[in-house]
Amino acid sequence: MPFRPPDARAITPGGKGRFPGFDVLDGVEHWDDVTAGVVLARLDPQPDISFFTAAEQATAEALFDQLLGQEAEPKVPVLELVDRRLALGQTDGWRYEEMPEDSAAWQQTLAALDMDAKAFHDKRFHELSWSQQGTLVQAVHDAEVWHSLPGSQVWSLWTRYASTAFYSHPWAWNEIGFGGPAYPRGYKALGVDKREGWEVADHHSVDPVTFAGRVERAKRRHANTTGAMHQSPQGKR
Amino acid sequence: MTRFSDKKIRARNASAWLVPDGDNRTDHRLRGDMRRFADDDEVDIVIVGCGAGGATLMQRLARAGWSVVALDAGPFWDPDADWVSDEAASHRLYWTEPRVITGDDPVPLGSNNSGRGVGGSMVHYAGYTPRFHPSDFETASLDGVGADWPISYQDLKPYYEAIEEELPVSGQDWPWGDPHSYRYSPHPVSGNGEIFLRGAAAIGLNARVGPVAIANGRFGNRPHCIYRGFCLQGCKVNAKASPLITHVPDALAQGAEIRANCMVSSIEVGDNGLAKGVTYFTGGVEHFQRARMVAVAGYSIETPRLLLLSASKRFPDGLCNDEGQVGHYIMVQGAPQTAGRFAQEIRMFKAPPPEVSSEQYYETDPTKDYKRGFSIQTVSPLPITWAEHVAAQGHWGEVLREYMRDYVHWSTLGALCEFLPRYRNSVTLADEKDRHGLPVARFSYSQSDNDTALMKAAQRVMEDILKGAGAEEVMTIDRFAHLVGGCRMAASPSDGVVDATQRSFAVPNLYITDGSVLPTQGSANPALTIMALAARCADHLIAGSRRGLRPELIRQ
Repeated sequence: MPFRPPDARAITPGGKGRFPGFDVLDGVEHWDDVTAGVVLARLDPQPDISFFTAAEQATAEALFDQLLGQEAEPKVPVLELVDRRLALGQTDGWRYEEMPEDSAAWQQTLAALDMDAKAFHDKRFHELSWSQQGTLVQAVHDAEVWHSLPGSQVWSLWTRYASTAFYSHPWAWNEIGFGGPAYPRGYKALGVDKREGWEVADHHSVDPVTFAGRVERAKRRHANTTGAMHQSPQGKR
Repeated sequence: MTRFSDKKIRARNASAWLVPDGDNRTDHRLRGDMRRFADDDEVDIVIVGCGAGGATLMQRLARAGWSVVALDAGPFWDPDADWVSDEAASHRLYWTEPRVITGDDPVPLGSNNSGRGVGGSMVHYAGYTPRFHPSDFETASLDGVGADWPISYQDLKPYYEAIEEELPVSGQDWPWGDPHSYRYSPHPVSGNGEIFLRGAAAIGLNARVGPVAIANGRFGNRPHCIYRGFCLQGCKVNAKASPLITHVPDALAQGAEIRANCMVSSIEVGDNGLAKGVTYFTGGVEHFQRARMVAVAGYSIETPRLLLLSASKRFPDGLCNDEGQVGHYIMVQGAPQTAGRFAQEIRMFKAPPPEVSSEQYYETDPTKDYKRGFSIQTVSPLPITWAEHVAAQGHWGEVLREYMRDYVHWSTLGALCEFLPRYRNSVTLADEKDRHGLPVARFSYSQSDNDTALMKAAQRVMEDILKGAGAEEVMTIDRFAHLVGGCRMAASPSDGVVDATQRSFAVPNLYITDGSVLPTQGSANPALTIMALAARCADHLIAGSRRGLRPELIRQ
């Protein structure tokens, strides 16, 4: 098929996922053309960076990798997807009064993150180790005020843009078992533990660790990386 | 095979028979042949905003022979060409012109509470269409909080019934508020709905399937739902009701004109104190539409903003704002969302998010230390929204990814908590300007203690339901949903902007026909009530002085 080279089936970010062989792109012929157009465009070679400056680009890329735990290829091109959105001025239509408008807020916070890297390690943010970066990012998450901006509102800006880009990508859908566009096909097998013929079950055989165990493992690794106590639920709004 | 006849509904609103029955969802010929007025024509009424309130009013008045022009800031949607089965690419459905949010509890705008284009927010609402309870109309008298409406539930009841037929609504017999039934039987439920019903049974809570504005069956030429789960991204199927398919087609057939992509910048009032039309921008050019009457239906942020933008020598603080009421008493509903993790696969993204709901905790419970209550409904976030839910727990990086990988195992409920009206919750004009050079809205929100107590109580009940159904872990995100108030209806000008007929106290030929007139909000989704109010207002206009009616246009 034109949208996918032969060796690129069932790709998941970093090769992680729980639905082996599941590829939402297998269903493209069942999607309406308009939807297929916008989704497949995310798989196109991305245009050159046009919003972020070269200096911002390096910091932003490292920040997005941190926020989304993208340590290994293949990676969802979050930097490019966010850059295009900012270049087009596609905001959510609102901003907090204490924050500048989104494009200025991105420029300001990326510069501030680099300043933190300089202050603590005398390096650029992207030059830091994975763990050093993680520690600085966690500090922003925990901060009430960060570089005279409300910490929670900076965090909201970062995670909104990052998650929207990442979880709009078909590779992320492969990873989480989401069926993607569903028009005009729809769903027939509704109910607990029901699956369409083309859906793939969560494969416990690949990773027999329980959900609680997996989450615990991830939290431990995350805490070791960032040096942070993990937040309890409701810690952040 | 038809179980009952739709003849009577079709006779008063033929919209469902005016949409095509083939693979196309839009009758382009009906739109192409639309009657067109000139700016210089003094039409009977110009309506600002073509959503739940504006479109319903337009359809009713066009039927009565009025010459109607409706202006909308956004596009005239074509579900085939403009809407997609995709979360990220559906941003265009929301109002994305700049707005500033502030207060102790700033309310993010967008998908949950702002619409744009013909059909309004109902294009991307979930589809829940509960009625308000009789108590909602007199919370001040009954509970000592909120406000009494200048009308009662009984005044609105016939309009609830009419709109429920026209949408139409599917659901089980409804035991709460004023008990009633629905024309269409409830939809089958998916995994998410099953969990709610199972958990509710386990803790002795009464939960029902519905009420949703998606016919369980065909309705006119509108096909059956295909359970694809993208209700919040605009229904490409034409199964879920929105004014774009429930009232606009009939309005066009009856001679109304809809002008899309027209941003109204002010309402002009003459020396005689009467509105004489509206100024609007389209294609970057300023126009003026003359009219004998003006109705504003831009919703709780844009309606107050337009009145404030329409300040003049006579109304220096904004049109209809002599009493300082415009833009105040805006309400959102507290909408905490609680998810539970199950060993089985739920796959909550399958089937419409609106499935099962409960109003058992809707009314004031004298044993509690808070007033009024909340409702609980299934919601089923798609991946981006789900990531927001997970991230709200403080998870990011690898932990976020691990939770997200578990998406198919989670079931999610949402509550709607009745936040009380407060004067300080308001829309004012910011210093920042939009691309038309108009000051943008500044929306300030702060919760009261009662509001916060309701959020917590609702979260506890949702956790109990999910644990009752067997959830091994639960997690909650505090959110807000819906918007009402800002130009409320009142018995006297010192308490509101419009009277019981939705006519502004200050300008006799200016009406407000959207959610901004609501004095209280209950814990019901507001769409049905906004439509019912607009239909009632239309009846009042049609039966009234007929100042705007041109006799030669009355249809036989």
